[in-house]
Amino acid sequence: MWTRRSALDAGCDAYAGGVHAEQMAEETPLVDLDSSALAAARLLAERRLPALVVTEADGSPHSILPASQVVRFLVPGYVQDDPSLARVMNESMADRAGEKLVNKRVRDLLPHERRELAAVNYDDTIIEVAAIMARLRCPLAAVMRDGKLIGVITASRLLELALQPS
Amino acid sequence: MAVVAVVTFLAAYILIATERIPKMVTALAGAGVIVAVGVASSHDAFYSHETGIDWDVIFLLLGMMIIVGILRQTGVFEYVAIWAAKRAKGSPFRVMVLLVLITAVASAMLDNVTTVLLIAPVTLLVCERLGVSPVPFLIAEVLSSNIGGAATLIGDPPNIIIASRSGLTFNDFLLHMTPIAALAIAVLVATLPLLFRGSFQGDPDRVADVMALNEREAIKNWRLLITCGVVLTAVFVGFVGHAALHIEPSVVALLGAGVLVLLSRSKPGDFMPSVEWETLLFFAGLFIMIGALVKTGVIGQIAQAAARATGGDSLTATMLILFVSALLSGVVDNIPYTAAMSPIVLQLTQGIADPVQADALWWSLAIGADFGGNLTAIGASANVVVLGITMRSGSPISFWEFTRKGAIVTGVTILLAAPYLWLRYFVLAG
Repeated sequence: MWTRRSALDAGCDAYAGGVHAEQMAEETPLVDLDSSALAAARLLAERRLPALVVTEADGSPHSILPASQVVRFLVPGYVQDDPSLARVMNESMADRAGEKLVNKRVRDLLPHERRELAAVNYDDTIIEVAAIMARLRCPLAAVMRDGKLIGVITASRLLELALQPS
Repeated sequence: MAVVAVVTFLAAYILIATERIPKMVTALAGAGVIVAVGVASSHDAFYSHETGIDWDVIFLLLGMMIIVGILRQTGVFEYVAIWAAKRAKGSPFRVMVLLVLITAVASAMLDNVTTVLLIAPVTLLVCERLGVSPVPFLIAEVLSSNIGGAATLIGDPPNIIIASRSGLTFNDFLLHMTPIAALAIAVLVATLPLLFRGSFQGDPDRVADVMALNEREAIKNWRLLITCGVVLTAVFVGFVGHAALHIEPSVVALLGAGVLVLLSRSKPGDFMPSVEWETLLFFAGLFIMIGALVKTGVIGQIAQAAARATGGDSLTATMLILFVSALLSGVVDNIPYTAAMSPIVLQLTQGIADPVQADALWWSLAIGADFGGNLTAIGASANVVVLGITMRSGSPISFWEFTRKGAIVTGVTILLAAPYLWLRYFVLAG
């Protein structure tokens, strides 16, 4: 069984001078800061995406919105302060959790303190992409070339490439 | 040396009151100056009960923090609060009354900040279900926690400090403080409809949402709950009998904590986060600074001046301590205030022949310091904690919104306490 380190090393050996971020990148739907939060959540749900790239009004990447962040927004603050209260609530209350997203914008879902954008250059290697994801604990990295977003790499995409036998 | 002691203490007090620097840092820095300059020696600071760290206070707090850290894992507070909300059948006013009473009783056994941290999330849940603003409920609960905490020796840190300095026992607090605290809570409950007029308009259709809450699910570990119940009962018995058993409350608390850790098989990671090391170190630094004032005779001079100002009349001294304590405790932290006043009151009581009237000074200090915490939004740590909770929940309480309500409650409870003290210790005691 390959360890994670040896799998990556094997991947790197196999791809030495080979695949870079540009080649790993995939297309992804984008949302901007003032997009409907409910629409963004539906996008994440329907396409089973790990995260969305949030753009400024001019189209430049602003931040990454992980699906877990949207889930966190749905959990009431008092349940986050006292997780035992989640057990006392019945299913009908969970059904209404989505109501919190109505009339909200994507900017309302993002943390108050803006986090560093998980961005990689088009010619970064698989290890460099992995390092960014690990450091920022982000399931998705935006691939940039000449200041423009050309695609994204998800954690599962990275693992798919890293775990391929050489 | 007296000048150094006074300047150091005043500078630290101002920094603590303004919160420019974390109060633990301020207290330790002040203590460091005291020892470094030679106002107090290490023996004075670490081994003297009169001039040094009051280890009984430190270890009583430590023991109770550990016990609470394990107890809160059971979910019992959430169970009781939700059970009460369901018993109120969704009536917002009845819910508020029950939560206020639960908070008062819990505060008598736990520290006020912990009580508020435990009751606030479930209050937000119940208010959301009822469709009412949580702000009046949270304000009422914190007012109740400051009053309820006055009822016992362990309910509020000023009481712990007073007990250690005066030698008053747990039973003394039950006999003398519990009645006035209970009266004050009754008055608080009676004023709730006026204080929070218009806050009880709930949506009748949402009563079912409250009734649908399952309080039994809040209990995470029934075995742990039973264990905690048994140990807490033993600790309470230990507190009641500590004078007869010749065991200090601090030892009772530490033994209880140790037994509970063993029986519950809790790991340090489960309960150590509940130990507020910053608070304990803050106390340590504070005691060293106060001890320096005692050692250099400053406290003695202040006590003599106070005795002259009151003409040696114990009733005048009692009322003066009550009202000044209520006022100052509402503006600055009541813990350093009580720590500074305790040695002064001790000296005053030594000049009073009647022991009942001498004790009245201690009770007036306790009542003034505890009830006075309700005066402003910064009068007690629990108040500040609640303001933070409401800000995070999207229903912020302003300083003045809290202070308006707090000032009324403080005024009413202190005006209730004044005739209580007069009648009990000066009219009926004779």
